[in-house]
This record gives sequence, structure tokens and C-alpha cells, in this order.
Amino acid sequence: MMAVAAERARGVPVELAGVRKAYGGHVVLAGIDLRVAPGELLAIVGQSGTGKSVLLRQIVGLERPDAGRITLGGIELGEYLALPPEDKPFRIAMVFQSAALLASLTVAENVGLRLRERGGHTPAEIAAITRRVLEQVELAGTEELFPGELSGGMRKRVAIARALAIDPELILYDEPTADLDPILTEQIGLLIARIRRLRGSTQIIVTHNLPLARAVADRIAVLAEGRIAECVTPAELAASRHPLTREFLRASALAG
Amino acid sequence: MAVEALGHAPRPPGVLTRLGASLLDGLQILGEATRLFFATVRAAAFVPADRQRVVVQMVRVGTDTLFIGALLSLFVGMVMVVQAADQVREVSQDILGPIVGLAMTKELGPVLMAFLLAGRAGSAMAAELGSMTVYDEINALRTMDIDPVRFLVMPRFVAATIALPVLVLYADFIGVWGGAAVVVADPAITLPVSTYFARMLEWVHFTDFVVGLVKGVVFGMVASILPCTFGLRTRGGTEGIAASTTAAVVWSFILILVFDFLIVRVTFALD
Repeated sequence: MMAVAAERARGVPVELAGVRKAYGGHVVLAGIDLRVAPGELLAIVGQSGTGKSVLLRQIVGLERPDAGRITLGGIELGEYLALPPEDKPFRIAMVFQSAALLASLTVAENVGLRLRERGGHTPAEIAAITRRVLEQVELAGTEELFPGELSGGMRKRVAIARALAIDPELILYDEPTADLDPILTEQIGLLIARIRRLRGSTQIIVTHNLPLARAVADRIAVLAEGRIAECVTPAELAASRHPLTREFLRASALAG
Repeated sequence: MAVEALGHAPRPPGVLTRLGASLLDGLQILGEATRLFFATVRAAAFVPADRQRVVVQMVRVGTDTLFIGALLSLFVGMVMVVQAADQVREVSQDILGPIVGLAMTKELGPVLMAFLLAGRAGSAMAAELGSMTVYDEINALRTMDIDPVRFLVMPRFVAATIALPVLVLYADFIGVWGGAAVVVADPAITLPVSTYFARMLEWVHFTDFVVGLVKGVVFGMVASILPCTFGLRTRGGTEGIAASTTAAVVWSFILILVFDFLIVRVTFALD
């Protein structure tokens, strides 16, 4: 298992077709069509409140869309979620905006949580995996600290280490650099790029940080008015003539 | 313009509308609590594997309640003797033992300890789970294929359900001895303490302890499942956590009293 974890993982494709989501009559996603290739790093950008995090929650299955179809690795999302964990053909990890580390557990316990709870690993294997992923996020030696003792950037990196510990084929990031200063933002960006280089997992990053998206993503999808306005490479984005994209680029430049 | 704006202003909901909304909300909470109860009972099959988490929660419940529970029971036993001695001064102080014994074992021990558990440990459960819900920790567990009911709710539920009957016995014991202390120390009471205990043993039967223990088990379930329900349905940041915690305690108190009444009715019907 550990040998497998050390190898380059294969990403899975993600497909969304006509995904709609509304809350009490307020339409947030008005029909999302999106295809992410295996191993691709896609950034979904858009202004605050455009439903980027909502979209991510549909993909990971925390919420179910009102309409539309989501397939991960060729499997319908509902079908995938219904599978017992041990029968799932691939693993998904999500890094939450708040990091979502369990406050009562140490860094090592947080990182090894899923491995411990789902069984199949000896304590020595879990300790070795934990050590390895913490080294990858440059947090070796923090195993015994509690989340409350870490800075915001460190908590984010522990959350990424927790995601890496299960060797996922698909990693979703919800605003990984929110509330971080430019230096920490750059560190997280470099880390995501390194994960991509070392692993090959499919990665979807939701962010309103355009420089981050440009720096790390293969393609950037602009979410506006409940739809994907366009999904282009970073180079194409700069030259885009799409009015919603232009508006977002203008707003981002003003912000920053 | 102002008049026009006033004309379009939505009218505040009437009393009946608000009452109906509260009723529906209450029914929804009860529904969620019932569903969580059954999910937790199913997850209780994993107690042997998760015993360490259960023990941790039992220690927390004990730490939260033992000292204050002792203090509460001691003074309740003492006050009961003082009050009852005055009431029965024209009759016989012989019944002081049975009064304290029966009141503590059948009613006050279970209800006091349940309120204490709901107020201390229950509020902590609601706040902790509420915070975990608001800050996506529960969602993080879900994305890791870890069942939050088994991981978080079940250990708290089992710990409270086991701990409360033990706390009830503890409260009975201390309350009875609190009463005995007043019997010994109060010059207005002429009853020998040996008679206090002898009469108590004549009147308090094993079934009275059983009723108290049954109440302890049921109240333990109520005082843990409701806080967990409120914790898991928390929305809206810090204010939401505070509102959930308060609501969890209030609802627990009310349902403890409702179940108390139901158990009393059933035991009287069975007698």
C-alpha cells in the first residue's frame, strides 16, 4: 500500500452536465457543463457569492444538485457515494476553506484519521504515511501539535497533508489561500503545483485569487451568473473577449 | 414616496403564522432527533471497536457532573429533611427517612442528575458539534467516508446512557446521607438516625431503585441525543452555536420532564 502511495497516482475524469442548484428559489447554479480531464488541474474562479463553493460541494457529494448529472471516473456520483468505502475504485479528498481540522486531535491524528478509521493499515504504516505527507507539505516535526497551536497557513498545509495521506485520485480545494498573506499564498500555490508534478491526481481549485489560478492551473473556468462563462487556458484568459470574463478580470485587477 | 414604500412593506407575520411556524419547527426537530436516535442505536453495534472513544466521553461526563452533582444532591437531601420535619412535626418524624429515600430514588435523583447532565455535558456536546458543523469539520469527516454519527454521536450517547444511571445511584446515596446529617445535627429533629434509616429501608424497595435507574437510562438518551441533534443542525457561525446550545438545553429539560411523566404513568399502571 505504501509503495503504491509513493508512486504517481492516476487522476480520474470529472464531468458535469446541466448541474443546477437553487436555495429557496434563489438559483445559484443555473446549468453547469464542465469536463475535467484525468490529471488536469482546473481552477474555478469567480467573484464572491457566485456559487464556486456550492459547485464544489455538488462534486464531492456534500449536497445533491436539483438537476443535472455528475460523473467521477466514469461513475455516476450517486452510485459512487453509495459504494462502501472499501469498494470505491478511487479516492476523493477535499481541502476546506477553514481547513476543517478536528481541534481535539493532534496534527498526526488529523492527518492519519481516515487511514485509522477505515482500517487496513498498521499503526506503523499510518505513522510512516503521516510523516511522509507532512514532509511533503514542509511540516515535519509538527506531529504532536494541536490545530490551535498552528498558524492559518500551517493549518491549510495540514489539511492538504490530510488529503494527500489517502493518496487520492481527485483533490478538491475550496479557497485554499483565503485569509492568507501573499507569501503564504505563494507557498500554497507552490505546494499545489508540486502535488501535481509528483502525483498526477486530478485537482480542482475554487478560488477568487486570479494570480494563483494563473500560476498553477492548466485551465481556468470563469463562473458567473450561475454558469461557466468560459473555460480556457491562462494565456487565453488574458486575451478573452467574453464580457463576464472581462468584468471579472477588471474586478480582480481593482482588488488587486 | 414614503407612503408608497409603506404600502409595499411586508406585513409582519401574525400570531397564528408564528405559532404554526414554531410548531412545524418543533416537529422537524423531534423528527431529526428520532432519526438520529435510530441511527445512533444502529451505530452502537460498534461500541466494542470504539470503546476508547466511549470511555473518553464517560470521563468527560463524569468530570463535568461528579462534584456539582454531589453538592446538589447533598443539599437537596438536607433541605428535604428540614422542610419535611417542619411539615410533620404534629404527626411523626418517623416518615422523614421514607420521604427522603423515595423522593431521591424515584424522582429527584434521576431528574436532578439529568438536568445537570443536560446543562453541563449536554450543552458542551451541542457547542462542540455545533462548532464542528459550522467550521466544516463534520463535512470533512463525510468526505473521508467517516460516519459522524458513529464517530461523534454514538460515543456521547452511550457514555451518557451508561453514566446517568450511575450518577442517579450516586445522587441517591449522597442525598440520603445529606438528610441523615440534618437528622443528626438539627436540634429540632428528635428522630434517631438509626430510625431514619430503618424506616427508609422498610419503605424503599428494590423496584424503586429500578424505576430510578430506568429513568436514568431514558434521560441519559434524551440528554445526549437532543444536544447532538442541535449541534448537527447548527447554522450561521458563532451566534448559531450559541443559539443551538441554549435550545439544546431547554429542549432537553422539557423532554426529560415529558419522559418523566410518561415513565411515572407507566409504572403506576403496572403497579
